[in-house]
Amino acid sequence: MTSHAAALAQPPRAQPRVSPRSIRRILLLGAAVTLLLLVLFPFVWMLQMSLRPNDDIMGYNLRFVPTLENYRALWTGNFPKSFANSVAASLTSTVLSLAIGVPAAYALSRWRFRARRAVAMWILATRMAPPIAFTIPFFLAYRYLHLLDTVTGLAIIYLTFNLALVIWMMQSFFDSVPRELEEAAWIDGCTIWGAFRRIALPLAAPGVAATGVLCFILSWNDFFFALILTRTQAMTAPVAIVNFMQYEGWEWGKIAAAGSLVMLPVIVFTFFVRSYLVRGLLAGGLKE
Amino acid sequence: MAASTGSAGRAWNRSHAFALGLAPALVVLAAITLGPAIYLVVTSLTPLNLVDPKSALDFSHPLGNYRDALTDSRFLNSVWVQAKLSVATVVLQLAAGLAVALLLNAHSRVLEAIRTAFLIPMVLPPIVVAVIWKVIYTPDVSPLHRALAAIGLPLGSLITNAGTAIWAIVVAETWEWFPFTMLMTLAALQMIPNDPLEAAAIDGANRWQLFRYIVLPYVRPTLVVCGLFRLIDSIKAFPLIYVLTNGGPGTATEVTNYYGFVQAFNFSYWGYGSAIATMMVAGVFLLSLLVGRLDRGVGNRD
Repeated sequence: MTSHAAALAQPPRAQPRVSPRSIRRILLLGAAVTLLLLVLFPFVWMLQMSLRPNDDIMGYNLRFVPTLENYRALWTGNFPKSFANSVAASLTSTVLSLAIGVPAAYALSRWRFRARRAVAMWILATRMAPPIAFTIPFFLAYRYLHLLDTVTGLAIIYLTFNLALVIWMMQSFFDSVPRELEEAAWIDGCTIWGAFRRIALPLAAPGVAATGVLCFILSWNDFFFALILTRTQAMTAPVAIVNFMQYEGWEWGKIAAAGSLVMLPVIVFTFFVRSYLVRGLLAGGLKE
Repeated sequence: MAASTGSAGRAWNRSHAFALGLAPALVVLAAITLGPAIYLVVTSLTPLNLVDPKSALDFSHPLGNYRDALTDSRFLNSVWVQAKLSVATVVLQLAAGLAVALLLNAHSRVLEAIRTAFLIPMVLPPIVVAVIWKVIYTPDVSPLHRALAAIGLPLGSLITNAGTAIWAIVVAETWEWFPFTMLMTLAALQMIPNDPLEAAAIDGANRWQLFRYIVLPYVRPTLVVCGLFRLIDSIKAFPLIYVLTNGGPGTATEVTNYYGFVQAFNFSYWGYGSAIATMMVAGVFLLSLLVGRLDRGVGNRD
């Protein structure tokens, strides 16, 4: 198990012939690949199901002609609308939380004041609370505010996790931007927020992008809030998938295709932010 | 307050400007977290339900919901189911995550690509994870059930059997989240210095001893933090249960979160649901304090 110990003990060098070490290396790679295939099998199975013709949806012969008929069936139904709702709610919430959270993170990074630690703890605590605790009060309040079943209502409740994440992550990004440049700008007569806009923000731009992507993924992945706070008008894609199961009979091809479409943006985005993943995860978990 | 009347004035101006930048976020945070938290606790002191909306202000038995909960066998059962699910998934995730991390911990381009691919279950939307496992656990379409039948070991549905349903969810939940421990453990493994490993190897330590006495002590703090983070998150488990078993059969997979959801949104007993949610927040808060303490402990060692 600790083959790395031996591997690290000596610098790698070209082996003249097949040595026990390179045999072990091949065995290790073989084991890793086998394990990966086993672990990803359920995932791959759903993907292939989405491409299977409907009359052979339960087939297990892998030599079939892939078809997009399941995706086409989705396109003609209500699914595009719920997909658009997902995009709208996630984007709105991301933009809002960046607009409010980035300046706040900058202030927390640069300004020493007494309650700083308490504010940080409060922000972290909101990431830990179980969603059901937010859902009941929000549901009751939305009934009066007429925000049930609206994209706006969803975007607002997504702020409960996004805003904390933005402040948490951006504060550490700003901490790593040297403050000397801004201090020089202040002395030259630049205002605090002028220096923020011209110096700190451009330097932290990659962090803003990564944080924005994480916010989008978190909102996109939400199922619980959307299940409770939407009915028909603002239904998001994850809720639509469940409705395929419960109300429209078991159309496995459509279900698999919808699942594949919902995970597509997440897979693509994750690829771009994978180096920031750990930081985002430690701010309280990637998913709710 | 002229901006150029000395350093005291400037410092005051600066604080003023920072406060202006921070204020909107704090106001919004208060409105969307503190406000609902207070509303939740207040509601938990009333018998509020759909039939009697006036009960929103009925504080005649403020602790009635909490007293009911203590004698509600379905609630107590949900806490027990939650405990089983949380402990089993966390232990399995830590074991699987650590094992895979140890397997993949070597410098190689191929292994790096494999490491990234292993992250897929964790980043999938939870609802997609639920769909994936619904396929695996539904005998009609499942490749697993078909393969077992083909070798003469037909298997009944695991998710409609009260004895196995919770374990079916444990497997799916572990699959979804072991990459988290794997990722964190890999990061910790890269921090282990070479010297003690080399010295022990020269002294004739075998691989198990290297693992037990050198590698494990180095990664233990990471495992503890991972375990607590996952423990807190396991309390939020919802989509898997909703899609795979709906809390059933009976109440076999009804965790506390799910029971609170049923009380509040299926039966519209918002007062009682709020009391359950309040107790969950208190539980999570206690666990968070523990994480904070351990987190600091880990930081101090560096």
